[in-house]
Amino acid sequence: MNRSRFLWLIASFVTAAGLVWIWQVVADNRLVNPVFLPGPDRAWMALVRGFTTGDLDVKLLATVERMFWGWLVASLVGVALGAAIGTSPRLRAYLSPMLEFLRPLPASATIPVAIALLGLSDGMVLAVVAFGALWPVLLATVHGFSAVEPRLYEVGRALGLSRAAVIGKIALPSASPDILAGMRLGLTVALILSVVCEMIAGRDGLGTWILLAARSFRAPDLYAGVILLGLLGYATAVAIGLLEARLLVWRSRSR
Amino acid sequence: MMQTQLQQGGSAPVISFDRVTLAFGDRTVINELSLDVAGGQIVCIIGPSGCGKTTALRMAGGLIRPNGGSVRLLGETLTAPRRDVAIVFQDYGKALLPWRTAAANVSLALEAAGVPRSERPARIRLLLAKVGLTGHEDKYPTEMSGGMQQRIQIARCLAQEPAVLLMDEPFGALDAMTRQGLQDEMLSIVAETGTTVFFVTHDLEEAVYLGDRVIGLLANPGRIGIDLSVDLPRPRNQLETREMPEFLRLRRQLFDFIEKAEG
Amino acid sequence: MNSSWWKGLVVPAALIATAEVAMRINGSTSMSLAAPSDIAAALAAALLDGSMLAATRDTLISAGAGLAIGGLLGLALGILFGLVRPVDHLMEVTVEVIRPVPSVAVLPIALLVFGFGYTMEIAIVAFSCLWPVMIYTRSAMAGIEPRLMEVARALRLSPWARISKIVFPAALPRILVAFRLAAAIALVVAVTVEIAINPLGLGYGILVAQQGLQPALMLAYLVWIGIVGWSLNTLLSLAQQRLLGRAARVEVAR
Repeated sequence: MNRSRFLWLIASFVTAAGLVWIWQVVADNRLVNPVFLPGPDRAWMALVRGFTTGDLDVKLLATVERMFWGWLVASLVGVALGAAIGTSPRLRAYLSPMLEFLRPLPASATIPVAIALLGLSDGMVLAVVAFGALWPVLLATVHGFSAVEPRLYEVGRALGLSRAAVIGKIALPSASPDILAGMRLGLTVALILSVVCEMIAGRDGLGTWILLAARSFRAPDLYAGVILLGLLGYATAVAIGLLEARLLVWRSRSR
Repeated sequence: MMQTQLQQGGSAPVISFDRVTLAFGDRTVINELSLDVAGGQIVCIIGPSGCGKTTALRMAGGLIRPNGGSVRLLGETLTAPRRDVAIVFQDYGKALLPWRTAAANVSLALEAAGVPRSERPARIRLLLAKVGLTGHEDKYPTEMSGGMQQRIQIARCLAQEPAVLLMDEPFGALDAMTRQGLQDEMLSIVAETGTTVFFVTHDLEEAVYLGDRVIGLLANPGRIGIDLSVDLPRPRNQLETREMPEFLRLRRQLFDFIEKAEG
Repeated sequence: MNSSWWKGLVVPAALIATAEVAMRINGSTSMSLAAPSDIAAALAAALLDGSMLAATRDTLISAGAGLAIGGLLGLALGILFGLVRPVDHLMEVTVEVIRPVPSVAVLPIALLVFGFGYTMEIAIVAFSCLWPVMIYTRSAMAGIEPRLMEVARALRLSPWARISKIVFPAALPRILVAFRLAAAIALVVAVTVEIAINPLGLGYGILVAQQGLQPALMLAYLVWIGIVGWSLNTLLSLAQQRLLGRAARVEVAR
């Protein structure tokens, strides 16, 4: 990282801190109704209180678990299915139109159907999260596998690579940037759906917690929950970013 | 030194096209092509665009199967690519795995051949040294120049320890200086290993400079139009060889041939 | 492609036929599933009595208003950040922290501030649409060929002419892509908010059908939401292609 980039980053942190300070001033002077907008100090205290005396950690963990398991199932199924469809032009001809039709369907619309089938259970939440996160992974994987440079397949044939080696050493690495992009999007979808499912089905977690806080006008608790969700979103984005940086070194290093 | 070192092929040809015909749909690309390449020879294929020279090379590599006739390699009819036949593609940028370093790209051929993991590093080092890439083992292809990328591909092909090297306009996309350097390196590697080379090019001078034999194809459908043997002494030299009367005579002959073929 | 379009219909048709037969054999007394023919009948009835069209109108109004507000804000911010680099640098941390906040997290805040109704839904949709539009617009600005700016300078264009003749046309294809993306997001978010909490529109309709144990109507809503989403997407793709011709296709293919 060069010097000016570093200085800008510092300045950028200072700007963010300044904005938080403005938020504090606005709240202190009651420029906005405090019922709607508590200051960052009160939100922070609510957050600390939630972790020390409350059971916010349990709720956070419950939400993270829902998101993670649903996303994991979606990723495994999505990559496997996507690889099968992406490497077979015939399967693509039969399935792509249906996938294209289902792609814009809001995943949350399946929640009532899932409730009707599975009740207000954790299984229902897992099914919805996995189904919703499946699409971005599946579609990105199909695209990744169908866009492998044909010359590389010829190289594989010329070298006498086995079919498994062609998939493992040529197709999968070539599709990996697309797959990771799909998994990144899938993770965002998984978090959103986990929270929405909690809200609707009343399963214990961050979603229920912030909704209850809003309904009983406990604004500091609400903002604490929103900040926590923001941090969670940020942390998952960073985690996937690190994974990408590790797996895709070759993309960032070019002349 | 100036003696002819040309080894005339023995009895059995290494590559043998026997009345090979190939059609895509109703377009006949190659018609009844018969051609024998003797062991240890460098045979260069030239011809106007659309004459099927790359197609012929791909058939020799087992990537395409002819509709009629047969392509035989060391006496066996080809039905699929063989590991002792290596192909150097023109578009090195597409033929290398961008997510593997230079060393790992060469390693791919060793992995395919089932070379034990422990033996690979030493062999990779040797192969990269042979193409002049020592010190660049851990670079990714995109970090290297076109000439260096093509050297990686050549090293990967050499890792197959091929009996036959099929080269499809391998230096066509490189600048003149790099091209000449690689031509000479290729000649010295081939002289050392005795590999048979089937070399497709559109550069007439390159064909004469490299080849023991130059074959010109005619288009629509592809067939042999001219077959010259090149009796220039080896080792060849970029300056001296290219100034020899024989070189100039062959170049002129090919030039006239191409002019007529395209006209 | 043209000769094999029917292949895309084989699998859905087979699935529908299987579902129909299975439901008929088991008797359609299920409280969670319905035969495709019953779903079609429920869909037709709901469309004819106007209830589904009214719900569609509510959802589209919320989604459209949210898209307009969030999209325009995003566009303005994107142009600002794209053209004035220091502002972009200064806001980097703030933007990177707020952007990944899941849209549903602001749902309770909107509920608290606006109560139930259109306004809170529009606010959430606007928040969700702002980010993609801003980021696409910003990178569209940054992606303008520097040579074009040099040309503008060489021709001594005024600042306004520079923006209207060079910057905007050069960035337009990517900005339109951003709006298409945001439109899809707007619909998804609107339906999600309705299902989660807001008593109006298609999302509420499907929830009520589920709670009223009307599986045929519930699945009819699901199918209809799918049709609306697909139509919107197709319409926007076509509009984009009409507006930009070949340039659009290149951009989308990337």
